Amino acid sequence: MNAARRGLPIGFLFALIPLIPLLIVGVVLLRAQGGIAALSAPREPATAFVADAATLQRGEYLARLGNCSTCHTARGGATLAGGRAFVTEYGTIHSTNLTPDPTTGIGDWSVAEFRHVMKHGVSRHGLLYPVFPFQNFQHLTEQDVDAIFAWLKQQPPVEQATPANELSFPASQRAALIGWRMFFHRPRTLVEEPSQSAEWNRGRYLVEGLGHCDMCHGERGAFGSLLDGRGNAGSVIPGLGWHAPALDRESLARWSSEELAHYLRSGAGKHGSAYGPMAEVIASSLQWLEEGDALAIATYIKSLPRTAAPVPVRGPKARTQLGYASVALYEKHCADCHGKNGEGEDGKFPPLAGNPLVLADDPVNPIRVVLYGAAAPSTQANPAPHSMPPFVDRVSDADLLLLLNHIRGSFGNDARAVTIEQLRAARTLPLE
Amino acid sequence: MNSIPKWQAAFAFGLILISRLAFAQADTPTSWPDDEGMAQRLGACAVCHGQHGEGAAGAEYFPHLAGKPAGYLFAQMQGFRDGRRHYPQMVYLMSNWNDAWFARVAAFYASQPTPEPHAQAAAKLEAQDFARAQKLVREGDASVDLPPCAACHGDRLEGLEPGIPALAGLPTDYLIAQLGGWLTGARHSIAPDCMSHVVTKLQPGDIRLVATYLSSLSVSPDDRPAPEGSRELPLSCGGAGQFDPTSGVVQ
Repeated sequence: MNAARRGLPIGFLFALIPLIPLLIVGVVLLRAQGGIAALSAPREPATAFVADAATLQRGEYLARLGNCSTCHTARGGATLAGGRAFVTEYGTIHSTNLTPDPTTGIGDWSVAEFRHVMKHGVSRHGLLYPVFPFQNFQHLTEQDVDAIFAWLKQQPPVEQATPANELSFPASQRAALIGWRMFFHRPRTLVEEPSQSAEWNRGRYLVEGLGHCDMCHGERGAFGSLLDGRGNAGSVIPGLGWHAPALDRESLARWSSEELAHYLRSGAGKHGSAYGPMAEVIASSLQWLEEGDALAIATYIKSLPRTAAPVPVRGPKARTQLGYASVALYEKHCADCHGKNGEGEDGKFPPLAGNPLVLADDPVNPIRVVLYGAAAPSTQANPAPHSMPPFVDRVSDADLLLLLNHIRGSFGNDARAVTIEQLRAARTLPLE
Repeated sequence: MNSIPKWQAAFAFGLILISRLAFAQADTPTSWPDDEGMAQRLGACAVCHGQHGEGAAGAEYFPHLAGKPAGYLFAQMQGFRDGRRHYPQMVYLMSNWNDAWFARVAAFYASQPTPEPHAQAAAKLEAQDFARAQKLVREGDASVDLPPCAACHGDRLEGLEPGIPALAGLPTDYLIAQLGGWLTGARHSIAPDCMSHVVTKLQPGDIRLVATYLSSLSVSPDDRPAPEGSRELPLSCGGAGQFDPTSGVVQ
């Protein structure tokens, strides 16, 4: 007994020596993700928030731009009461109740706790999964965060418990997020770029911060993390299968800042219409953009350099597949709206000639739009939107391929051919 | 030049002012597209429902929309968007449309002439089955507390403004699928959801009989839904309520 007491601890300590560098790295990484303090939310009595009408109005505007309600409302459910399911490769995560209900919502939250969760992604429920864009919201000014909180507190309370997440191990353990944060989260705040205009800086604040555009448009690395400096590179959206295009001066070259700003507010424009998830974002959020803010966003994203990694060239060009048959199909099904030369019509029918979305290396968007049709959102600026008919079950796969390759290889377009495998893969994606 | 007396000018000015005030609401927010403009915008719908909602060749499963009550059409679009109905293609196309646009789309289809049913191979019912179907549709079955279809949908199954659709001449398969949908929970109406209650009173075999019978009934282009309030309903149904075509509210 005594011998064991003397002998074991010393041997044990020796065994620990190789672990010391690991421990140091751990401490360094823990500090890098914001330190211990970031990992627990302050608990204070609920703030009796007194906000004036202007602050509430501003909070409503900011909450719309941050698009809180889209993620925090289930289909057909009470607004902001949470419960929308997000399917990830680690399982399903449900959004939480943001209404001021004292038991199931944020009714008894203090402003300190709200500031903390927006800045650090940690609330009373523990570490939040990075489906919540705290890495964007950390850039918000305290004034903006407080205005959003004040507005949320004014919304009708709804008692609705959040369904339990269904995640695989180890993602099911919130503590595992400490490891994720050590590698993939760094506390940051945007610093005004003095060499750029106020408009550009405002645009960056909205794009990188409140608008959290990179959640869809950013390229992702290991464990669902967003790659540094590639927030505008374009990406296939996890769980949805739509391709969110790159946002940079090359891919947006066709749009003037004014045209792009109008598109963001209306959902339809000279060079294309919003379909799929972008239609949702515009319908629920961006249509409320003030004109100046829309222009600021357009100015900023149009200034960004191209960061998308070049895609290895594979397969034949679409133009090698063309012929009388594809011309006849195009004229029968497409030309009435998109024009004989794929020129489209402003705000109604997107142009096909030179359209980066039609030409994308990953052709999933044009395939989906041809298969299932599409509808631009109805908005304040475009209350009576146009739509595109679906061709699934009306046109054979062979003819669909001919059509897709016709639009990718005609009117000066010169993209790679769509393959039957790509067409079939698109059919397996969720439609809703 | 004769000058207009001052009182007349003031009177005219007042009239203009009043009419401006009265019609200001109708003018906002938009002047909606005319029928041609609507048909151009609704290309996605035309494939299955016809350019003016008359139904489409090669898509006989899908219901026509033309001539149906606007409130009914509005509630169905809202249902697809808000989770009461679950047809993935419809949900996909409608999830980013707002109530104002739904109301305009509903009004467009409602104002089109009722189409004749598509020539379909409507299965003929055996005399015994026909009698059973006719009885259920016309008289219901008091022993299981099943009201007849005609009590709400009308003697000619022509529907009732603003929320109860016509049933005559709809595709058999579509009717079977909808009744089945209420049975399985895939389709809901605005609460109180009468139809989800009614379908539970039907024998499983009755669904096919009733659907076949209804689809065999002829429709003429003049058939319109009966006017609002012209019939007393045996049940209180959420979808049968009021519809305001400008604000698009169903109560």
